[in-house]
This record gives sequence, C-alpha cells and structure tokens, in this order.
Amino acid sequence: MKLISSVIISIILFILIMSNVDCQRKQSSNAGGISLGEKVQQLLDWNAKKSILRLNGHKFKEYVKSSPRNYSVIVMFTALQPARQCVICRPASDEYTILANSYRYSSVYSNKLFFAIIDFDEGSDVFQMLRLNTAPVFMHFPAKGKAKGSDTMDIQRVGISAEAIAKWVQERTDIQIRIFRPPNYSGTVAVIMLISFVGGFLYLKRNNLEFLQNKQLWGLMSLLFVFAMISGQMWNHIRSPPFVHKSQNGGIGYFHGSSQGQLVFETYIVMVLNGLVVIGMILLTESGSQNDARKGKLMAIIGLIFVAVFFSLLLSAFRSKAHGYPYSFLFK
Amino acid sequence: MVESPVKAKNVVPKKFVGISSLIIFSVLLVCWIAGFASRLFAVIRFESIIHEFDPWFNYRATAYMVQHGFYQFLNWFDERAWYPLGRIVGGTVYPGLMITSGGIHWFLHLLNIPVHIRDICVFLAPIFSGLTAISTYLLTKELWSPGAGLFAASFIAIVPGYISRSVAGSYDNEGIAIFALQFTYYLWVKSVKTGSIFWAASAALSYFYMVSAWGGYVFIINLIPLHVFVLLIMNRYSHRLFTSYTTFYILGLIFSMQIPFVGFQPIRTSEHMAASGVFVLLIAVALLKHLQTILTKQEFKKLFILGALAAAGLVFLTVVGLTMAGFIAPWSGRFYSLWDTGYAKIHIPIIASVSEHQPTTWFSFFFDLHILVCTFPVGLWYTIKKINDERVFVVLYAISAVYFAGVMVRLMLTLTPVVCILAGVAFSCLLEVFLKEDQPATAQKEEVETEEPEKEKKLYDKAGKIKPRKHESAKTENKGLGSNIKSMVVIAILMLLMMFAVHCTWVTSNAYSSPSIVLAFYNQGDGTRNILDDFREAYYWLSQNTADDARVMSWWDYGYQIAGMANRTTLVDNNTWNNSHIALVGKAMSSTEDKAYDIMTSLDVDYVLVIFGGVIGYSGDDINKFLWMVRIAEGEHPKDIRESDYFTERGEFRVDSEGAPALLNCLMYKLSYYRFGELKLDYRGPAGFDRTRNAVIGNKDFDLTYLEEAYTSEHWLVRIYRVKKPDEFNRPSLKPTKRALSDYATKKVSKRRKGVIKNRPVVVKGKRSTKAN
Repeated sequence: MKLISSVIISIILFILIMSNVDCQRKQSSNAGGISLGEKVQQLLDWNAKKSILRLNGHKFKEYVKSSPRNYSVIVMFTALQPARQCVICRPASDEYTILANSYRYSSVYSNKLFFAIIDFDEGSDVFQMLRLNTAPVFMHFPAKGKAKGSDTMDIQRVGISAEAIAKWVQERTDIQIRIFRPPNYSGTVAVIMLISFVGGFLYLKRNNLEFLQNKQLWGLMSLLFVFAMISGQMWNHIRSPPFVHKSQNGGIGYFHGSSQGQLVFETYIVMVLNGLVVIGMILLTESGSQNDARKGKLMAIIGLIFVAVFFSLLLSAFRSKAHGYPYSFLFK
Repeated sequence: MVESPVKAKNVVPKKFVGISSLIIFSVLLVCWIAGFASRLFAVIRFESIIHEFDPWFNYRATAYMVQHGFYQFLNWFDERAWYPLGRIVGGTVYPGLMITSGGIHWFLHLLNIPVHIRDICVFLAPIFSGLTAISTYLLTKELWSPGAGLFAASFIAIVPGYISRSVAGSYDNEGIAIFALQFTYYLWVKSVKTGSIFWAASAALSYFYMVSAWGGYVFIINLIPLHVFVLLIMNRYSHRLFTSYTTFYILGLIFSMQIPFVGFQPIRTSEHMAASGVFVLLIAVALLKHLQTILTKQEFKKLFILGALAAAGLVFLTVVGLTMAGFIAPWSGRFYSLWDTGYAKIHIPIIASVSEHQPTTWFSFFFDLHILVCTFPVGLWYTIKKINDERVFVVLYAISAVYFAGVMVRLMLTLTPVVCILAGVAFSCLLEVFLKEDQPATAQKEEVETEEPEKEKKLYDKAGKIKPRKHESAKTENKGLGSNIKSMVVIAILMLLMMFAVHCTWVTSNAYSSPSIVLAFYNQGDGTRNILDDFREAYYWLSQNTADDARVMSWWDYGYQIAGMANRTTLVDNNTWNNSHIALVGKAMSSTEDKAYDIMTSLDVDYVLVIFGGVIGYSGDDINKFLWMVRIAEGEHPKDIRESDYFTERGEFRVDSEGAPALLNCLMYKLSYYRFGELKLDYRGPAGFDRTRNAVIGNKDFDLTYLEEAYTSEHWLVRIYRVKKPDEFNRPSLKPTKRALSDYATKKVSKRRKGVIKNRPVVVKGKRSTKAN
C-alpha cells in the first residue's frame, strides 16, 4: 500500500521536476537583474504549477538572497538522492510537501510567502555558502533584514511533522497554515484486513470451534496483555524511549537510573521477571493437585525457587531505581 | 477445592462456625484499624490539616454547606472564584463527599458530640478505607471464597495504590468513591448470582451514591454493560441476568440524573451510550429466546438472522444519526485521551500539564502494588480457568483497569481494588494447598493473613487460638507433599507478605504522607526537622491585610488554597473549566510588565501571588511550571505568546544570563526574582544564586513600575505584589530596605510591619484609600 503510493508520488515528482527543469531553461535566457514585480510574478507562475519551488544555486541567489524582496521564503535544504543515504530526508520532505500543499490551496495563500527546496546535488554551492553540513535544514528568509538564529528550525526539538513546521512558520511569518493531510486509510484498511482474516479463519474452522472455549488460550492472552501493561509498555508507546543507553562508564546501560523514566529493554526484563514469578506461583499451586507425589514435590521446589529468586531480582531492579529504598530480599 | 471453604462451613460442627465468624470479624476489624492507623502519618507529623489543592475546595464547600444548609449549597453561586465570571458551585460539583461528611457532622451533633467539621473532613478518608476493606471482602467472597476475601481485605487496607489518595487530610472524592465502587460491584455480582430485584435495586442505589461522589462512575456504567455483553456473547444468557441488568440500568439511569452536575448526560453523551445499547440488545436477546420456545427451528433460524441484522443496523444508525444531529455529544477530551493516547499531548495542554495524567512506568506499578503486581496475574489465571458468570466480571474488571492504569497514573486507583481481589485469590489458592492438612483451609489462612496488618496485639492471641486445631488433625497421613516442603513454602510466602507490609508502611510514610502545604526538611548534620510554613503564613497575611473583596491573581494551582485559607477572590483555580481565562492569566504572567499591566487592570487585579523556590530549593515553584503557562497562553493567543521565544538559541530553558530575553523580562521572572539579585544565600556563593535551578540569575538589577512588593514570606516561598492604581506610578516608592518584609529575621519584624503600612496612606484597604484621595 505504502510502497505503491510512494512510487506514485515519486513518479509525479519526477514529472514535475522535469517540467520545472523546462521552465528553468526558459528563465535562464533572460537572467540578470530583474525587478521585484517580475520576480514575484515569476514565483507566482511557478507556484501555480506546483506548491514547492525547486531552486538551484543560481536561482537561490537571484530570488532568495538578492535584496529587493517583499516576500518571505521558507527553504528546505535536503539531500534526496539515494546515494546520499539521508534516512530522515524523505519523510521530512513528505511532511514539507503536505505543508506546502496545505498552504497553496488554502485561503491564506498570497505572494508573501513561498516554499522552496534545495537539493544538495543541485545546489551544493548554497550549502557551502550557508555552511550547512547536515540535512534536512529548514530555514526562513524574511522579507526584510537578515536571517537570525531562530530562523533555522530546530529539528531536534520540534521534530519534522507538518504541524510542527507549520507552527514554526507561523512564529516566523505570522501566517497560520492549517494542515490538510490526505486522508490516511492505512489504519482502517489494517483493521478491515484483520477482521476479515479472523472472520475467514473462523469460517474455515467453523466445524471445529472448540478452541474458542479453550480457557488456557484466553487465560494466556489476558496474562500477556496484563504483563504488557504492568511492565510499562504503554509508557513506551507514548514516550518512545531508547532501547538501551550508554552508561557513565562507557558500557551499555540496560536500566534507566531514575524512577521517572525507563528503557525499552528494561521493560522487557521486567516483563520476563513478572512472568517467571507468576509461573512459579502457578507451579506451587498446581503441585498440590498432582497425583504423583514426586512430581508434586519437584514442582513445589521449582515453584518456590522461581518465586523467591525472580521476585528478589525484581525487587533489586526496583531498588536500583528508587534511591534510598531500604529493603531487599536474597540479593542486594 | 474452590468451594471447600463454603463446604467446610456446612460440614464443621457448630462451634467452628462460631470461631470462623469470629475470625472473619476480628480480621476485618484489624484491617480497619491497621488501615486507619497507617493513614495517620501526616496528622502525627504535622497536624490535623487539609492537604494539597482540591481538598481545600471540598473543605470550603463542606463548610459552606454545614453553615448554610443543603439547599443553599445547591444554589450556591461562588462569586469569589473565576473573577469576574464566578462559578455555580452547586451545579458543578459531585456533592456526595460534602453530603457524607455533613451527614456525619449532623449525626454527631445530634448525639451532642461537638466535633469540628474540619476534623471530620480530615479523618473521612481513613474511616472509609475500612469500609472499602469490608466491601472488598464481600465482593471477593462472592467471587471466590471467604479466605480469599480476607486476604483481599487486608491487602486493600494497606496497599499504597489506595493509600495515596486516602491519607488523613486528603479530603477528596476518591476517598469515598472507591468504597462506593467496590460496594456497587459487590451488589451487582450478588444480583447476577441471585437474579433478585432486591439486589439489583440495591446496586442501583449504591451506584447513585457513586455518581454523587466521583466522575469515575463512568467506569461502572461501562464495565457492567460490558459484563452483560460478554456474557451474551459467551452464550450465558439467563433470566437472572435479564432481571438484574434491566432493573439496575433503569433505576441507575433515573438516579444518576438526579445529580445536578450529571443532569442529562446519561442520555446525551457517548460515554453512556454503551449502557443503553446493551439494554436494547439484552431485550432483543430475551425476545429471541422467547420466540425460540414458540417457533419451529427452521422459522426461528430465518427470523434470527433477519432480526439480528436489522437490530444491529438500527442501533448503529440511531446512534450515528443522533450524534450527527447533535443530540449525543461526542467523547469528551479527557475520555478520548484514554483511547487515542497521543491526543491530549497535541490538543489539550491543560490536561497534559497535570502530572497525574501521565502514563505509568513499571516502577510506579511496583511502587504502588509491590508483590501484588506479580501475583495478581496468578489470580486472573485461576479465575479464567474456573470461569463462571460472576468471574467473567472480575476478569473484565482486571483487564480494563490495567489498561487504564497503564495510560494514566491517576487511574492506578481503579486498578488497585481488583489487584487486591485477584492477589487474594492467588494467595488463597496457594495456601489452601500448603496449609491443608485434612483440615479446612479457611482457618489457617487467617493466621497468615493477620501477620501483615502490622503491630496489632490481637493477632497473636488469635493465632494461638487456632494452632491447637491444626495439631488435632495432623495425625492423618498426607499423601502429597512432605511437611518439610510445605513449611518451607509457607515460611517463604509469609516472608513475602511481611515484606509487602513493610514496603507499604515505608511508601506511605515517605511518599504519600506530605500535606504539601506545610513542608518539612531534615538537617544534614543532626537530623532535626525544620518546618516551612510559608504557604499558610502568606495566606494568613492575605486574609488579614487586604481588603475583603481584593482580587488575587495567581497560577491556577493555588486558586483553591487562596479561596480556602485566605478567603479572597481568585481569577482561576483548580477547577479548570475555562481554558481561555487560564490562558489570559498565563499570558499576563508571560508578557512584559507593561503589557501584563493592561491585562491585570482589565481583570481588576489587586494582588499577584507567585510561588518562588529559589531560596530553599523547592522544585515545584512557578518558574518550573512556567513553560505550561506559556503553552496554555500560546494555545489561545498565538499572536502574542510564542513558546520558542522563551528558549535560548540552542533550545534550552535557562534563567541565567544566557537565557532568552523574553524570559528574562516577563512578569513571572520579575516577580520571582525581584530583589533576589541582592541576596547572598551563603558566604562563598555569588549573589542571586537560584538553588532550585542551580544558576545565578541573569537579570538582577531591575525595578518594578506597575507593581510593588507587598509581602514575602519567611523563606521567600510565597511572594505577593500589589498592583498599583493608575495614579500611583509617579509616586516615590519606598526604598526596598524600608519595606515590610519578614526576611530571615524572626517574628519581631512582623509586628513592625503594621507601622510601615500605616505610613503609606494609599495601601490597600479600600475605604481608607478613598479618604486619602
């Protein structure tokens, strides 16, 4: 699904780029000092064809850098060629396109703000001029005055979603752009697929539906859900912490030091420990209902060891996070 | 094995019945006492005082009700909150809490026991924890066995997850609501089991109490229909179910609509639609079952398919149509954020800003539940393996509650009771195996049981009483496990349970027993305790030195406390019903002084109160909350306030000289750090060193034009400023050294303060200033 759409998008982009190259050729014939009105008219003409202007070094100097200007330009510096191996550039560019399209077809569209893109392979001289050595970079070139530090968007902090860029654009230019995303049906499709899959499965096995009444299966499923929740997977889902992190002495730290946070790996450990304690308890309880006395004894001993050892491990993991917690069991 | 305790009751001779009920009674009594006692840390360390923020409003409302009567309370329009809007209190609170404590107050006074309403409010939650333990026992008894019930009761009496919201002084809805929740569930399970209208109607009455007490009643009105729905899917329809649900639903619906705050919500909002949908479905199923008895198989099959399709389509279309037409409100933001977990973060900063609404780490689960967190899945496993109608309920309860607790820390409270129930089941199953020596297991279980409610003398007596019985029956050969293994396991389990009791006490004492109005810190050297009473000091100053109708602007966290303790008008408070009003205050705090002055005059502000922790290193102060003010203000006034202006170029939030200029010149910064640049906290450090943020402040030399310092508390924790009237700007202001301040000096200064105020004719008191003019 996603693949097809991205292929289509890239084909469209390709066509647009080709057409743009054409008009670039036409432009370059009458290059040289052009007036402000002409510049704006030219930009509007391009914008009529597509929402993002594709610039190279020459045009960047002419339309963005040269002084008589009454419009702001937002430029994304990026490296979309696969050879550049910029992983984040593609999604950033998609989000940027969404933003530019939202602007292009909204009521606030005017000749005060333009969106442009400069690819490293087309305008490496601009990258050198602005001393950029990372991509993607979003910069705002205001209508008057020079670009300040805050005219470069802080990707690390705000991210690259279209909403975040729109907010930043609004901060810089006072133009509020409402994001219109092309509706995303992938979630709905996934749900329908799942339902039809389960339904089809049930239909195929319609003569043998006992497994639905299998309590072990249901019990196992609910236990897995409970383990996922009590080990904080929901927190991981919302906060998306790193998998592991570097500890102070250079090694890999599997546990987050404070009680406020957690690492993904850490939650897996906790999930396993919880599960083992539960298995130990169940073994203990089941040992009473065994007919074979030796088997029962074995189960009881294993269960006891499971409960004691793994609970103590859990407790010491807890202790390492709660500073000043005084109690421990078996292990420090 | 499951039924053995019940059977045992029937089998054992009469004297054992007496003993077992004595044991049940005394264990529950011990639970109550232990639960009550372990909630008293705050009262013993500090004093009998209402805690935190929301309890102050509840207390104020209760006091109003006791003073003016119930009907006055229902019609109460509070003009001291949300100035200039005011707040209709009677129609916007859950009155159950106030009525409960007001009722107790009335009853005690009827008996000529003169108790102050404040003491009732302080001790209400600990007392209700005992009732919660009892209703948990009843519920677990219905679901599993009395032994498991006793376990569950003693767990819930001391488990930190519940204590966190019910220590003495934390006078909040949750304190009584958990009791109502458990009791409603007990009555519901009872009514499903018996199918009697009596129990269903009692469940509806208990539900009514719950609706009057807490907004969490939505959990009940969705969980019970879910139970019915799942039972229908599992083909467990019965006439008992039909009777109990229809009775409960209709009565519960009518009762819940009697609460003014709830009003017509039960028939108009999406949160309640599941209940009515299940009601219709249940009736349709009942109809089909009836038709099944009349029609032939062939006819019925046709009718069934047609009818089911038509009914499902009709219900769906009705709900969608009514929602479209606006008769049914869509999900409200708070509930919606439970499903779409990223929703609140993007759309509603005021919900995201509350730390209780954060997701839960595994640490908090373990912190609040300790051993129960890894044993309750065992109970869940056994309830699923031995499923019946009412155990379906507890399974659904566990799974939904654990999901909600994962999404929001605050909802750990609804998870805790079911965790106690299921852990009780787990331990009961386990010890039934290992304590069973041909003797019914109930009796011995209590022995274990009573070990964890700590330091009660009674329990040792009781344990002694039971022991002889054990020896009596030890003669018979047990074929299974050797006695060595049995005693080892029992000892290990006892140790785990003791660790649980110790953990609970430790957590309660260290984490959940701070009133947060009075702060305490311990000296490094000798370990003596210092009390910081700045909050009450400042609120008392407000109540004594300002005009009765003075309006105080502060961030919303302190609204209830100002209203409750200082009895002054506030602009915003913890009832965050009006986001744009809060945003306006946030805007005033985050703009420069002259812009803020325009906002403040338009809101008639007389005083501004800020909390500043830089002197003592108190981290919960207004500068640390400041970014939320900016964010909330930005949500409403995106043109004027921008969050990025308050960060440095590198995206840091810092208060020293490298901080963003917008931050260093905003009102909140100036009010927090006014004159702080001159203050040297110790001999070595530089002047103006902020201990909370470990930085020397960036903007030291500034003067205030439109405000003047009115009061600063002993440790600078609370600072109050007076907003000057338009004709006062050019007057020579007093030199800072002459101002009335209680510095680090003792209380002698506070006496001199009055003299200083007299020297300034324009200050504050409304009447006097008109004379001066």
